[in-house]
Amino acid sequence: MNRSITLRAAFAASAFLSTAVLAQDNVTAITNAKIITVSSAGIIEKGTILIKGGKITSVGANVTAPAGATVIDAAGRVVTPGLIDAHSHTAVEGGVNECTNIVTAEVRVADALDPHDMNLYRQLAGGVTSANVLHGSCNSIGGQNATIKLRWGVPSGDELLFKGAPPGIKFALGENPKRTNFGGGVRRYPATRMGVEVTIRNAFLEAKAYKKEWDDYDAAVRTAAGSGGPIHSGRSAGAPGGGSMPRPQAPRKDLQMEALKEILEGKRLVHAHSYRADEILMLIDVANEMGFKIATFQHVLEGYKVASEIAKHGAGGSTFSDWWAYKMEAYDAIPYNAAIMASHGVVVSLNSDSDELARRLYWEAAKTVRYGGVTEEEAFKMVTINPAKQLRIDKWVGSIEVGKDADLAIFKSHPFAPDTRVEMTLVDGKVLFDRSKDVAARTGVAATLGGGQ
Amino acid sequence: MNKFPRPGLAARARCLSAASLMLLAPVAHAAKTPVYAITKAKVVTVSGAVIENATVVMRDGLLVDIGPAAVIPKDARVIDGTGLTLTPGLIDAYSGAGMPTAPRPTGGGGGGGGAAAAVPATPPANPINPASSIYERVRVADALRARDSGITTIVPIPRDGLVFGTASVMNLVGEKSEGMVVMPNVAFAASIATLRQAYPGSLMGTMAYFRQTLMDAAYHRSEVAAYEKSPVGKKRPAFDPGLDAWADVAAGKTPLLLQTPRVGDLRRAFALGDEFKLKLILAGNMRASDDLGFVKSRKPALLVSVNFDPARAGGGFGGPGGDDDKERADIESAETNPAALDKEGVKFALVSGFANDFLVGIRKAVEKGLPRDVALRAVTLTPAEILGVSDRMGSVEKGKIANVVLWSGDPLTRDAKIKMVFVDGELYEPEEKPAGPPGGGGGPRPGEEQGNAATIRVQNEVKR
Repeated sequence: MNRSITLRAAFAASAFLSTAVLAQDNVTAITNAKIITVSSAGIIEKGTILIKGGKITSVGANVTAPAGATVIDAAGRVVTPGLIDAHSHTAVEGGVNECTNIVTAEVRVADALDPHDMNLYRQLAGGVTSANVLHGSCNSIGGQNATIKLRWGVPSGDELLFKGAPPGIKFALGENPKRTNFGGGVRRYPATRMGVEVTIRNAFLEAKAYKKEWDDYDAAVRTAAGSGGPIHSGRSAGAPGGGSMPRPQAPRKDLQMEALKEILEGKRLVHAHSYRADEILMLIDVANEMGFKIATFQHVLEGYKVASEIAKHGAGGSTFSDWWAYKMEAYDAIPYNAAIMASHGVVVSLNSDSDELARRLYWEAAKTVRYGGVTEEEAFKMVTINPAKQLRIDKWVGSIEVGKDADLAIFKSHPFAPDTRVEMTLVDGKVLFDRSKDVAARTGVAATLGGGQ
Repeated sequence: MNKFPRPGLAARARCLSAASLMLLAPVAHAAKTPVYAITKAKVVTVSGAVIENATVVMRDGLLVDIGPAAVIPKDARVIDGTGLTLTPGLIDAYSGAGMPTAPRPTGGGGGGGGAAAAVPATPPANPINPASSIYERVRVADALRARDSGITTIVPIPRDGLVFGTASVMNLVGEKSEGMVVMPNVAFAASIATLRQAYPGSLMGTMAYFRQTLMDAAYHRSEVAAYEKSPVGKKRPAFDPGLDAWADVAAGKTPLLLQTPRVGDLRRAFALGDEFKLKLILAGNMRASDDLGFVKSRKPALLVSVNFDPARAGGGFGGPGGDDDKERADIESAETNPAALDKEGVKFALVSGFANDFLVGIRKAVEKGLPRDVALRAVTLTPAEILGVSDRMGSVEKGKIANVVLWSGDPLTRDAKIKMVFVDGELYEPEEKPAGPPGGGGGPRPGEEQGNAATIRVQNEVKR
């Protein structure tokens, strides 16, 4: 029963907060704060952040709040950029895996977003403001991702989407796509790492043929238009036109191939679930052969063995702090992975892959200070600006700088302190989590339920 | 009520010779539908005002005269409607009546982590069946039992699956399913469902499946059109009845009747509809009132289910892995959903959504605040409007099909009893049900011959 009371309290709190959203036209000032900017400005011991229209308009020690501003006094608190989770499955309904085929590039996480998923609110309570919501790891080429902001309170999945974020897609290597650890179900190809490689290579061979078909068609349409033929009108029936050239027949549009074509064109980011060094090298080889890039290796627990190769390819590494041995391919993991990859020039982030872990990503970052001697500054980047870079959203989020989105977390103390917690979280300048109000609502709801059952 | 159960010829002869005050002769199969005049009834027309003490005349399956001044034809069988209320027959625009019940999977999913769910003993009928006409699968005798709840018209939909095919409006009368069809191609039915161990196995996959199929259907149609225009020198396009069935949906001609079980499915359906310029009818929507802003702005053709406590995976309350609090909350919010929608002025039809007893669900919605007159409209004229058949049914008006119900007591209340049901002007009388377990008794048994067996009655029997 306690669980349900907490749930309802959080619902009540969110309803309360949504009516208390700060007006966009007004200036909000967060004052007297210690500010970890995660920018060249470093740490400002006591400063003010001004927010207008959802954007940061001013940051500094000598900034003063204008008259009429809504002031959030953060004396004794630490303000950081909102945290970014580079590997999440939050707020997806109806399954995160389309497991039935080995390539499902046509399916879209954005179609299945659930803005009412309570985990959005819970993760706001952990300072998370953006997430890379990925398809599961069931197949070697999975579905299309959704980069979201945790805009708890919006009524539609579309309103969670991070505007401007480039589209991405999930790949997966190793035990999950070959279904090693999922006995009992229908066996399907592939059952080996060799097979995983073949499915990816075959898919891209097909995609290249598809791309050529469309490129040829587009060229033919241009030629026809140039020679006075009818203008290309999207879906062509292949009927002869009035001009000298017949209107070309449009190829069939295939949504799966469209997604792979976008990868070949560099328009879609590949996030590749991976564990072992050999499969990481395999995918780099396939990508080089087929002519596309890997944006991030996800999990990448043996990344420390091939960090230079990952860096050379230009891929990021998004890993766990210290998870290991939960399956055979995770036995060679070490907690120094993030530090070693970073020292070889890989842009490293720490992700959750979990609704629960996502609420304390800041402590995940802290572990890299202990394991690998990463500086506090660099460690905190692994949950802020680094994942922003990996998702190509760093021009909007990931640091506290003028012009960036006002996605902020206000901590009780330094985010690496063992007694810290998030007091308030803002997305686009709106307070979407306020611990004091949440606590008050909790007791209110408990009372209406008869003093807590 | 003492009822004549399908008398044999001898019995019929006795009745005839008895020559009571007003004797109604049985009608042979395929004979003309008798003329009926119901007198002194309270008529709730739904489309207009309530008429007290009215006569309703039915001839050739149509309503030919309604009102206090209506003339009783000489050849009419007169039914004294004193104390009775006459309403339009109920239309269940999303019904499982007559559709086979799919075997439930045994065991349930249980383990997480991608473990495969137990395979049902008998897999359901092909879950993707675009080229089929649903009416062909209706078991007539089973479907006719829905008349016991005052239902005269249904749109039958298979209980399980993803793409059901062409949906029809059917009157609950006669012996053959094709004879029941009022409008054969009212919509193309599908559900935002997922399949077990087949594509699409996720909501993401389902949306991708619909998107690709709509694109393919339009492409296929254009290919066929181009070929038909000049086949010489062209490879003939493959015959694809499934895509052909989708093509009118893709062209915005046939409405897509889409089951939308989740709150977010309303928006998902509209996203699909906007992308492909579809006509939509949305069914299910038991939490539509959770997204009132959207419903009010987009005004969907809304069929709202009263199947408030459907069978759930894991066995429902107390089931393994079940969340009883959440389940209880879901049921409560579903029960108040119709009233909440109405309060905001949202127009909708109520549908059974495969509930065992439509009336029980409607009454529950009324108990939870839906005004009774709104509820009656939501099961008569509004579904007729949504289905595009309000020119022929849905209200008690001259010239419309004689689909009416005679109630004792106020319709849609707990005390109301359905005394007579007319479908296409054919009389059916539900058996008096002993107070007991619901679903028992009443109506013909499966396989039992239908017809006009119960049409013999004597006027004075009705005066009770």
